[in-house]
Amino acid sequence: MASIEFQNVTKKFGDNTVISSMNLTIEDGSFTVLVGPSGCGKTTLLRMIAGIGPQTSGRVLVGGRDVTDIEPGKRGVAMVFQNYAIYPTMTVRENISFGLKNIHMPKETIDKRVKEACSKVGMMEYLDRKPSTLSGGQRQRIALARAIVKNPEVFLMDEPLSNLDAKLRVQMRVELIELHKKLKTTFVYVTHDQVEAMSMADTIVLMDGGRIQQMASPSVMYKDPDNLFTARFIGSPSMNIRRMDDSTSFGFRPEHASIGPEKEPNAWFTTTGTITAREMLGSETLYTIRDSAGNATVSVPEEHIYLFGSDGNRVRAEDAEYETLMEKVRQQH
Amino acid sequence: MIAPAVFGIVVFTVIPAIQMVVWSFYDINQLNPAKTRFIGFGNYTRIFQSADFTRALVNTGVYTFWTVVVIMALAILLAVWLGTKRDKLSKFTQAAIFLPYIVSMVSIGLIFLQLMSPNYGLFNAILEAVGLPKSQWTQSSKTAMMSVILVAVWKAIGYYTIIIGGALQAVPTELYEAAALDNSGKVRTLLKITIPIISPQLFFVLIIMTIGSFKVFETIQIMTGGGPNNATSAAGGVVLLIIVGVLTFVYFRLLSRKVHYQ
Repeated sequence: MASIEFQNVTKKFGDNTVISSMNLTIEDGSFTVLVGPSGCGKTTLLRMIAGIGPQTSGRVLVGGRDVTDIEPGKRGVAMVFQNYAIYPTMTVRENISFGLKNIHMPKETIDKRVKEACSKVGMMEYLDRKPSTLSGGQRQRIALARAIVKNPEVFLMDEPLSNLDAKLRVQMRVELIELHKKLKTTFVYVTHDQVEAMSMADTIVLMDGGRIQQMASPSVMYKDPDNLFTARFIGSPSMNIRRMDDSTSFGFRPEHASIGPEKEPNAWFTTTGTITAREMLGSETLYTIRDSAGNATVSVPEEHIYLFGSDGNRVRAEDAEYETLMEKVRQQH
Repeated sequence: MIAPAVFGIVVFTVIPAIQMVVWSFYDINQLNPAKTRFIGFGNYTRIFQSADFTRALVNTGVYTFWTVVVIMALAILLAVWLGTKRDKLSKFTQAAIFLPYIVSMVSIGLIFLQLMSPNYGLFNAILEAVGLPKSQWTQSSKTAMMSVILVAVWKAIGYYTIIIGGALQAVPTELYEAAALDNSGKVRTLLKITIPIISPQLFFVLIIMTIGSFKVFETIQIMTGGGPNNATSAAGGVVLLIIVGVLTFVYFRLLSRKVHYQ
């Protein structure tokens, strides 16, 4: 169990600054998901915690201890890699026990812990198999067991589900959430998929261009975005955004708009258009509406409109510009 | 579609090999083919009774053993070093150690004869300068073998370093990162992860090197112990074939569990 702290951390690759003086605290025992588009620096952060891509300057603390000069293996962290990084020439048992053998743990303890870890991921009957005979999902479990067996204070996961097929991914998502509940240790999980972030995290750290855009729980992320980037990135289908003449903008979630032949009585913003696509997903149906002249009227009530200033930051009810911007929205069609 | 290839192999490899085996049982007289006669294992008894033949065989064995061991060890270490550092020095080293491979053996022989000259050679000058005893190099039967092995290693090391280096590049970086997180030191990572992964290539190099080394024997044997009309050459060739065949078989039996094909 350990919290993780970044203090004024900067990371450069050659002359290219990827992260500049970042401060971030990841709560002890949390399931924190670092999410963002590719190249946003999320994997870089994870590798700094692991010690396999150390920071250029600043301090990284794991459990209050500065780990800058501590070797990767001695930081109390375990990592699951995107392509699993399973040692191909070792059996499942050898793969899982390798880290324990290296610290000269007694053989009986190793055996016991390997079995425990293996049964946690449901791979007991594969202990003596070679990785090449296993499927992607099974290899993923081995990679997990290899992390679990070390009893780490922190689990680091770098897009561990991205190589699995869609169905298995959903299943593994649930298993990871359950595993986190069971182990009660800190999980730091990197993904570019906002659905994974929303479904698994108790805290999401949304990054873009090496900066933290917003750090909050999934429901705050969704309902109360700080800026345009968060509003656009979180949620599927994403928020409808319309730019107004002076580069301010407003937006609304698709589920808060009603579509009908006429404008709703409580509508603050309305526009008309033509339905160009309809996607039946079972529990919901997605309509794509092109807002030219047409016979479909979209109505959005006042409380579901999000305002953004010209700098892309959110304008909330307590802000001075709020009233004027809201008035401007009403005049939009 | 493969018929032309098969034809080529049959004409140039299979038939000569069979021919060699057949001839090894005959006393061949090239001037008067009528006098050529079947003598059973006569040639074999003759070569094994010849001191030159057995000495050449033992020497080739020693030579092969040491070149293979030294080249393997050095090539792995060099390849690992060249693979981890991608600077100008390592690029230069890579080119430099490969260079001898493309130089003709005749030039190499002449150059090394000069370098190894007991009285005027550069090697002895260096040994003397650093206060070590001089060596007779090729001039003494005690150090001749070592000298020959030194040249062989020098000539071939670059080639095998490149083969092994190529194999190393195919090892995913994440495995080394995972090993670092698993508290595995550099040597342990090399022995437990890197070498097992590149074992198929190492095994290939081992067999190719052994066969290549043993072929030195042919030259020596033909030049020294061929006898009139090279009568016993065919028998010598068969003996070599059997030795290399047995060695390869032994390698496969001993090492097949250590070689990981994926």
